Amino acid sequence: MADMHSPSQHSIVVRIEAYAGAVAMVAVSTLVGLWIAPRWGTAPVDMIYLPAVLAAAALWGLGPALAAGLAAALAYNFFFTTPVHTFRMDRVTDVVTVIVLLIVALVTSKLAAGIREQARLAAAHAARNATIAGLAGRLLSCSTEEEIARTACEELRALFHCNAMLVAGLPEPRSLAAVPEGNRLTPSDIAAAALTLQSGEPAGRGTPRLQPAEWVFYPVQSSSGVIAAAGLARDDGVPPVNDDQLPLVANLLDQVALALVRANAEAESRDVAALRERDHLRSALLSSVGHDLRTPLTGIIGAAAELRRHGGEDPALLATVECEAGKLERYISNLLDMARIEAGAVKLKTEPVDLVDVVVAALKDMRPTVGDDRVTIDIADNLPLVQADPQLLHHCLINLIDNAARYSGAGAAIRVAASAARGEVRLSVEDEGPGLPQDGERALDAFSRISGSDRKGGAGLGLAIVKAFAEAMGAKVLAANHDGAAGAIFTLAFPKALIVKASEAADAG
Amino acid sequence: MPASPPKVLVVDDEPQIRTLLKATLSRAGYSVVEAATGREALTAKSIDKPDLVLLDLGLPDRDGLELVALLRQEPRAALIVVSARDQTEQKVAALDLGADDYVTKPFDTEELLARVRASLRHRLASEAERQIVEVGPITIDLLERSVRRGGDEVHLTPKEWTLLSELAKHPGRVLTHDALLRTAWGPAHVGQTEYLRVAIRALRQKLEETPSQPRLIVNEPGVGYRLIAK
Repeated sequence: MADMHSPSQHSIVVRIEAYAGAVAMVAVSTLVGLWIAPRWGTAPVDMIYLPAVLAAAALWGLGPALAAGLAAALAYNFFFTTPVHTFRMDRVTDVVTVIVLLIVALVTSKLAAGIREQARLAAAHAARNATIAGLAGRLLSCSTEEEIARTACEELRALFHCNAMLVAGLPEPRSLAAVPEGNRLTPSDIAAAALTLQSGEPAGRGTPRLQPAEWVFYPVQSSSGVIAAAGLARDDGVPPVNDDQLPLVANLLDQVALALVRANAEAESRDVAALRERDHLRSALLSSVGHDLRTPLTGIIGAAAELRRHGGEDPALLATVECEAGKLERYISNLLDMARIEAGAVKLKTEPVDLVDVVVAALKDMRPTVGDDRVTIDIADNLPLVQADPQLLHHCLINLIDNAARYSGAGAAIRVAASAARGEVRLSVEDEGPGLPQDGERALDAFSRISGSDRKGGAGLGLAIVKAFAEAMGAKVLAANHDGAAGAIFTLAFPKALIVKASEAADAG
Repeated sequence: MPASPPKVLVVDDEPQIRTLLKATLSRAGYSVVEAATGREALTAKSIDKPDLVLLDLGLPDRDGLELVALLRQEPRAALIVVSARDQTEQKVAALDLGADDYVTKPFDTEELLARVRASLRHRLASEAERQIVEVGPITIDLLERSVRRGGDEVHLTPKEWTLLSELAKHPGRVLTHDALLRTAWGPAHVGQTEYLRVAIRALRQKLEETPSQPRLIVNEPGVGYRLIAK
């Protein structure tokens, strides 16, 4: 954007230079004429002045052109018309020449001035469009109302060299953004803002309405009405926008209005999507709760009734009660974990963890379900420590072992392994079940939401928790099928960043 | 068992849990006193003078940790806190306040009895300092400062010995990471769990049959280590 506040002194200097230039060009033409006249006579000399007058008209406009024309007429008259070296003119043709020179100056300068004005208008138009497009572009990258308001204020401040503010809300307008920050409005400013918001007309300093205000407010209007008001104020009290710039301000604020409407629409559609996702989650959870709570409860109630009726101590029935109750407890734990994840209430408390400890603790908790002899442990010697939350990791592993036990069928082997390779530490649980449907990556996608319906009760919930906890710690979950043999492998992969370097733990001896 | 059976005060606001604990503890030969609130617990503590208190941290009338501090006052009784699963920080805080151990709801009654035994044993033992601690094939002589595994002397570094002897002085009881770090490395190293992990790993290499499947020194995730009592 061109500088709109060029000092008037500067333009005076330019004018003087223009007139001097015009006279100088006529002087040069005269010298050329003086050189020509002795050789070929004075007839071509009147033509010599035409370029000077045309050039002055084209370059500097009417004043310098007329000055050039007048100077040319005088010089021609003085040097080349008889009697020479006087301003008297005897011949009619000489008078005509002078008049023609002046007319040429007039017409050419008018034409040139018109062209220049058009060029200036076109340039101003282009600059304005560029300004508007620039703002529109910057607003596109904003997603919230605050970002949009801030960007708009920064732009207005840069364009008009003033303080800028965006306010919205009736009857008490509040500031959405202000640049520089911390600008305070006086009561009359607030009244002006409210007036603009109500009427959709500018109000405040420099307008016919509420002139005592320090700020001037312009409406930010969408098709549905005034959605905000943009306030501008200069520290020296001069109205920051002159009348020429009002269309620009209006255009800029239209862009702001569009952006605000777009942001609102996006926020609404996000809310709707989140609501729909939550509904989906809730109905999946409800059906899962129905199934996963009832099945073990049925087992417990049935076994307890049987034991009471027969007064016996049937070890199988007692084991059923214990095992099903364990399932219930794990399921409730998972529900609570899921609620914590959904509420964003998972707090990370990481420390260097030995995976040996994690595996032993998880197997101890899972002993009533999987027993001791089903599980083989294969942990590499000198496995590095990993930075992890021991509680979250514990629940990840319990869920993975539970998942393996569920799919392997009674008595089938489960392998828990930990190793380091390619800069990663991997903790994996392998089962001998039917494996994952399709490829592992697709199955992993199912983690992100509860799609329990196609899995045996509750597994979706457990795996969703594994994924959420692992990601909270910065680890990755990988799911794959065994090559050749049956069964799935779920792996927690700890990237290099989570591996505790041996040197950090060197002072342990 | 001594002539009069050890007395256990069960503090829990849930009647079913009190019933379960009373049945379990009575069958194991303890005499049981019950309290449903913090106030009742403090009264019972001073009147009945129990040997051990089982305290649920989630009582309606008093903050659990505050009660831990009050119940630790004279006359001394062993104290085991009972807490919900996801309250690791509360468990650690209770242990720091002087609780001897904790169990997590829902608990296995066998495990609960083991904890009770370990805590009571420690209380009796601390009156007459124990010298020899036996854990599986390991014999730890706290006075001679020696460790034997199946008769063979095991050589430990000073830090390893400090850790093992600290665990051995409280067999079966959990010691928090920070407590172990404070003892072996000093207060400046509290929080530097990696030191502890590496030293415990070295100890396991020397003591455990299968170091990757430890049975003698076990970890409680996020809380501490425990030397499994025979």
